[in-house]
This record gives sequence, C-alpha cells and structure tokens, in this order.
Amino acid sequence: MTVTVSRTRGRTGSRAAGGRLTGTGAMIRLALRRDRIKLPLWVLAITALIPRFYGAATTVVAPTPEARLEATLMIQGSFMKVLAGPVFGDPAGTSQQYFLLAYWVEFLLAAALMTILLVTRHTRAEEQTGRAELVRAAAVGRHAQLTAALVLALIGNAALALCSAAAAIAVGFPIGGALLFGASLAAAGLVFGALTAVTAQVTEHSRGAAGLAGVALAVAWILRGAGALQSPEGGPLFWLSPLGWSQQTRVLADERWWPLGLPVLAAGLLVAAAYALAERRDLGASLVAPRPGRASAAPWVRSPFALALRLQQAAIGWWAAAFLAVGLILGAMTGGMLTTDLPIFSAGADLGRAWIGLMVFTGSLYTAVFAVLSVLRLRTEEVRGRSGPVLAGPTGRVTWFGASLLVTVLAVVVLLAVYGAGLGVGAAVSTGDPAYVGEVTRACLIRAPEVLVLLAVPAALLGLAPRLLGLAWAALAYCGFVTVLGTYAGLPDWVPNTSALSHLPWTPLGTFTPVATVVLTALAAILTALGLYGLRRRDLATG
Amino acid sequence: MTPAIAVSGLVKTYGRTRALDGLDLTVAAGEVHGFLGPNGAGKSTTIRVLLGLIRATSGSARLLGGDPWADAVTLHRRLAYVPGDVELWPNLTGGEAIDLLGRLRGGLDPKRRQALIERFELDPRKKARTYSKGNRQKVALVAALSADVELLILDEPTSGLDPLMEAVFQRVVAEAKAAGHTILLSSHILAQVERLADRITIIRDGKAVESGTLAELRHLTRTTIEASTARPVTGLDGLPGVHRPTTADGTVRFSVDAQHLDTAVRHLAQFGVRSLVSHPPTLEELMLRHYGNGAAA
Repeated sequence: MTVTVSRTRGRTGSRAAGGRLTGTGAMIRLALRRDRIKLPLWVLAITALIPRFYGAATTVVAPTPEARLEATLMIQGSFMKVLAGPVFGDPAGTSQQYFLLAYWVEFLLAAALMTILLVTRHTRAEEQTGRAELVRAAAVGRHAQLTAALVLALIGNAALALCSAAAAIAVGFPIGGALLFGASLAAAGLVFGALTAVTAQVTEHSRGAAGLAGVALAVAWILRGAGALQSPEGGPLFWLSPLGWSQQTRVLADERWWPLGLPVLAAGLLVAAAYALAERRDLGASLVAPRPGRASAAPWVRSPFALALRLQQAAIGWWAAAFLAVGLILGAMTGGMLTTDLPIFSAGADLGRAWIGLMVFTGSLYTAVFAVLSVLRLRTEEVRGRSGPVLAGPTGRVTWFGASLLVTVLAVVVLLAVYGAGLGVGAAVSTGDPAYVGEVTRACLIRAPEVLVLLAVPAALLGLAPRLLGLAWAALAYCGFVTVLGTYAGLPDWVPNTSALSHLPWTPLGTFTPVATVVLTALAAILTALGLYGLRRRDLATG
Repeated sequence: MTPAIAVSGLVKTYGRTRALDGLDLTVAAGEVHGFLGPNGAGKSTTIRVLLGLIRATSGSARLLGGDPWADAVTLHRRLAYVPGDVELWPNLTGGEAIDLLGRLRGGLDPKRRQALIERFELDPRKKARTYSKGNRQKVALVAALSADVELLILDEPTSGLDPLMEAVFQRVVAEAKAAGHTILLSSHILAQVERLADRITIIRDGKAVESGTLAELRHLTRTTIEASTARPVTGLDGLPGVHRPTTADGTVRFSVDAQHLDTAVRHLAQFGVRSLVSHPPTLEELMLRHYGNGAAA
C-alpha cells in the first residue's frame, strides 16, 4: 500500500496532507488509554493460567512419568484427541510436553477470543455507538481507526507472546521452546483479529461481528479436532485450521517456526480484504443490509414473558441453527469412530455410543455458555436503562427478570433437544442405526439439570452481587475443567464432585439418575430464588 | 468568494429509500445558515455527506472549496462538528474527551476551553459513563467551539440541554458569528434558528423547499394571536396581513404576518384586551400549512 503514515504530534496536531491514515497515532494512544485496564488484564489472566494449569497437570493429573505416559497414551488412543493433543515426539515426554498436550488448544482459543473482542471493541462498536462519527469529523483518516485497532491487536498479542514465554520459562521450558510457544499464541490471536477486522465490515452491530468471528473460531476448533482424528500428528483437516497452524510448530518436539508463516500470510490477506471493504462502504453501513422490520408488534407480544421471548428470539434461533449444524457434523463422525483402532475408552463399550456420550456432554457445556450469555444480557438491559420503561409500567421486578429467566430456561431445553436431534441424525446416518435419533435426543435432554445450575449461578449473582457477574464464567470454566480432568485423569473424587457437571453419567448413553436430577434441579431453583430475592432488595442500575 | 458549502442536486439512496432527492444548499462564507426540516427530512444525511462519512449517490457537494469525500482529512482541520446525539468513551473523563477531540483536529485554545467549560457548567473530571445526555452534548460543544476553525457544523446541537444552557449556547454561537465563523445550524425548531441565522434553508423529504434570508421568508414567520376581549372583536377580516380569524367563547384567534403585527394589536386594543397570547409558528405547522402532507399540497 502506498499510504503515507503521518505522525500526529499530540497537542499540536499534524500538518501532514490528508491521508487515509492521518491521526492513526492519536487513535492508537486513545485505544491504549481506553484499554489500559482491560488489555493488561486479559494478557495477565491468560499468562497466569500457564503456571496454574502446569501445576494441575504435574501435581494432580500426572505426577509421575508413568502416570504421564498412561495419560498421554489415553489421549492419543481415544476421542480426547479432539479436545487435546496432538502428541508430537515421545509419548513418555517431559511434564512440560504433557502440559502442552493437555492445554495448548485452550491457550490458543483464549488468545483468539481476546483479539476478537479487542478488534470488535475498537471498530464496529465505535461505529455502532456513533463515536466513530465524532472522531471522523475531525482530521482523522478513513482507515485510522481500523489501523489503530489492528496495531493494538499487534501490541496485545506481542505482550501476550512475551508474557506467556516468560511464564513458560518459569515452569521449566527451554528459552527457544518458550518463545515459540508464545509466538504460537500470538499467531492464533492475530489471525482471528484480522478475521474480525473483516467481519466488522460485514455486520452492522459489534455483537454480530464478534459472533461471526466466534463461529469461525468454532469451525477452526472442529477442523483441528477432526484433523487430529485423521492422523496422530494432524491430518489434512488439521492444516485447514489456524489453531492447527500454531500447533504445527511442534513446540518441545521437533520445533519449527515456518508454520507460523501461514497465520502471518492469512492475517495479511484478511487485513487487505478489510481495508478494501472499508474503502467501499459508508461509515456505519454494513454489507449485510439491515432489513426493515415489522411496523407494529406481533399480537402475541403482550406480556413480560412474550417481550423477553421477542427480545431473544433471534439469538435463540441462531444458536439453534448453529447447534443443529455442529450436532450433525459431530454425529456424522460416529461412523468413522467404529472403524478406528482405539485401544481404550471403557474397554468393551460400544465405541460409537462412547463418542456420542462425550459429544452429549460437550453439547451440555455449549448450552451452558448460551445460558450464561442469556442471563448476562439481563444486566445489560438494566445498565443501559432498557429495563426502566418496563419496570415503570405495571410490571414488577420479579415478573420481569423471572420472565426473562424462564425464556432462558426454555431455550436451554430447546437447544439441548435440537443439538441432540442433530447429533442423533448425524450418528444414525453415518452408522445406519436409526435407534440413535431418539436415544441421543433423550440423552441430551437428561442433562438439562446441570445446565440449569450453571444458569442459576449468574441468576443468583444478578440479584445478590451484580458487580461479580463475571464469576459466572469462572464457575462455568471451573466445572468444565475439573469434570473433564476428573473423568480422564483420575483426580481424587471430591474434586470433580464439586462440579455441577460431574453428577450425571455420560455412559451408558442416556442413563437417568433420579437423585442427581432432583438435587441439581433443586439447587438451580434455590439459586434462582436467591437471585430474585436479591433483585427485590437492591437498587437498580440507572443509565 | 467561494461559498463555504455548495451542494446541488444531491441524491443519496439506501436501497429503495431516497434519503436525499436532489438537494440544493448554499452557505456563504461568514454567515449563520439555518438548516431546517422535520425529523427524517435528510438533515443529518446531508451533513454526513458533507463530512465525507458517507458517499452521495449522485449530485455534487463542495465544502470549503474541496471535495468532502476525497479531501476529508484536510477539510476536517478547518471545521468542527457537533452531532445531535453524542456518545463518548465510557471510561474516559469529559475533559479527556474534549482534549482528545480537539487534538485530533489539530489542537484547541486552552483559554477558550476553560471559559466554555465554566459557561456550560460542565464538570470535566467526571467519567463519561456518568454523564447525562445533556452533559455529553456539552462535551462535544466545548470541544467544537474551542477549536479555531472556519466552519462549525452543528446538527441539532442543543438536544438535551436545559433552557438556561440553551441560552448560553445562543450567546456563544452569536459570538462565534461575530468572530467571523461560518456556521451551519441544523434544527427542527424554527424559533432557535430564527434568532441566529442570516439565511435559512428548509428541507422536506430530501429536497430544499425554501431558501433565503429571514426577510425573504417573512411570510413564514406568521405569529398566531389568541386574545379574549371585553367586547366581541369585529373588523379583523379587513386588516392587511391577518389570516383566518375565528371567534369562540369570547376568544378570538388569528394569525398575522410579522410586518402587520403592530396594526393588528392596535386594532384589538379597542375591544378591551383581557388576555393576550402570541406564539410563533412551529416548523411542523409551517410544513403542514405551506407544503401539505406528502402529495396533498
């Protein structure tokens, strides 16, 4: 590109000619100032998880070389390859290698997520609120804000690379391997940051931009997992995933930097596409034009419940579509599982149903993510002042928030059923066994109580401690983490038992456990009731 | 002298909607130009085209002698803009936002900044998330008015301000005018523009329907009079400039052209005025009276 970068001289301002990038320096400083807390927090949080997960891996999961070898072989020989791995080099490797085997993917996902949110925050969100208009009416070039967002993404990921390399050195990585590990995280972050720069041009709202990038991240995750099943060190599908590119650096095995060329190239192409799109469109406009909506409310929207449903119907619809698609894809892999030579997974069990059991549990986790988002939305409604007009009418707090929570609960059930149906149909088609359809749908619905508990956590926080709502994510992450570890790595029983996700069995598929079901449902009800009780007593946030 | 703004035949379409439909607008250098129109008439769209934020479908627009799209950055150093709905960065203070917006344009006058903050009674140390709409509006006004620029583009700049602040705004704009700034003042309130503007353009459905000096548009500024009198009023029909007099329950109602107001009031006085209410026409009334509603002219 032949654009002149003008250095804006802070207070005095630049006298440079009107380029598309004029004011980029000032926009970068603004972005750094705005993110002075958020960005360091992201980087430090991700970095802090390195010694923490390493500690968990080496002291709890696989404290001895024998245990490590056993755990590695189990991952290598089971469907766990979809979630972890791949195993590069010697399976009886060092504890640092085991850490990578178990958690690398999670760190790549975290870097990608950090960057997706960062780029959205500084591009489409600015346009959506109208702040971009205020800025662009000043002497600021057309591409300054996009460039500033990308530079900030670069700074954030560079910081992440260095901090995580330092953390890796602290847990015993050699310097070269630690740097490569850090770079692999930054590479994943940058690819998805560049992708978000494109999605921010395409959608009208920041949530759409982040959502679209999130879908791409999920696809990359699925491709990586499917590629790991194809071949021990990653088959062709593995190479289609940006997460796979980062892992192909084979840190602590036969290390190589060249696979990072792929993310750099992809990011370059995506950024070029983003600039080309930005050049063509009006400020605030999107390629996906918003369609005109209804002129008057549908007749059924006449109660708090109906309003809550109306507000969430589009989101629920999109989640359901995504769940159906993901369910079908994962289900369709079942046939392949039967022919794979896998030594362990509950010896003697039906391999297809074992795979489905794991995927049913995964679906339960996804649904919990929806549930938490859906409850957090209520806080946004409140803080933005949108709850005010409703509560100023003859609708009480408990009715309003209760109606919204009820919508979330019903949506959870619908999503589990849709996911189960997709998974079941996929499995039935790929194995030729129609019994899967009903069986898998039922297996998914049986897991509803554990999702309801994870839904009730933010519901309780919303009423009792709205400032701590972020803990809902921590609770979800904790439960997912210890349950998966407990199942595969033999944690002492009491640890996974603290997780809401550990009480409904995965196998045999569709086992119904009345006691656990009743206890979990009651727990969810109590937490929700506490939340509503808190809501009646506390001040509402105002605009 | 080149006009500060010269727009002719401007068209902007969004799919099948025509937001601007052949708009003409000329603002001479040094004048305060009132840009009037009901909500949705295309005022903000015009301003966004002038700011190079959106691209016109057809027609021509010149701003300070340049092309608003191609020369956006260079031109923006010479102008300041206040939108009708200001959004700020929630975790920055109002003072930070003022400086930032000023610096992006090439700096602002610290003395004027301080004076304006005091006049608008703004607390610059509060985080923007705690500001009300009116306070966010003040931030944008201070940032724009303390910049040393040739052109001020103000798009319904006082929405959310209370009447006292509105008065401060009127004085500040009058001073800016005296200092030789060109000002494009968009509004849907005729009275606000009337006080400040040298010339006025009225737009409706994306087209300019009237343009001229206040004197030329005098016929638009008809005052409505409502009076109750001791004796029934007679003879109003014969007076020049009096329109549609009606009487009900001892109260007479009519509208009168500004230059005949004196005559009409003297005439009323003969019948023993007990109460007298006069009010200027709202833009909406004008629109309805002069241009009908859509096709029904």
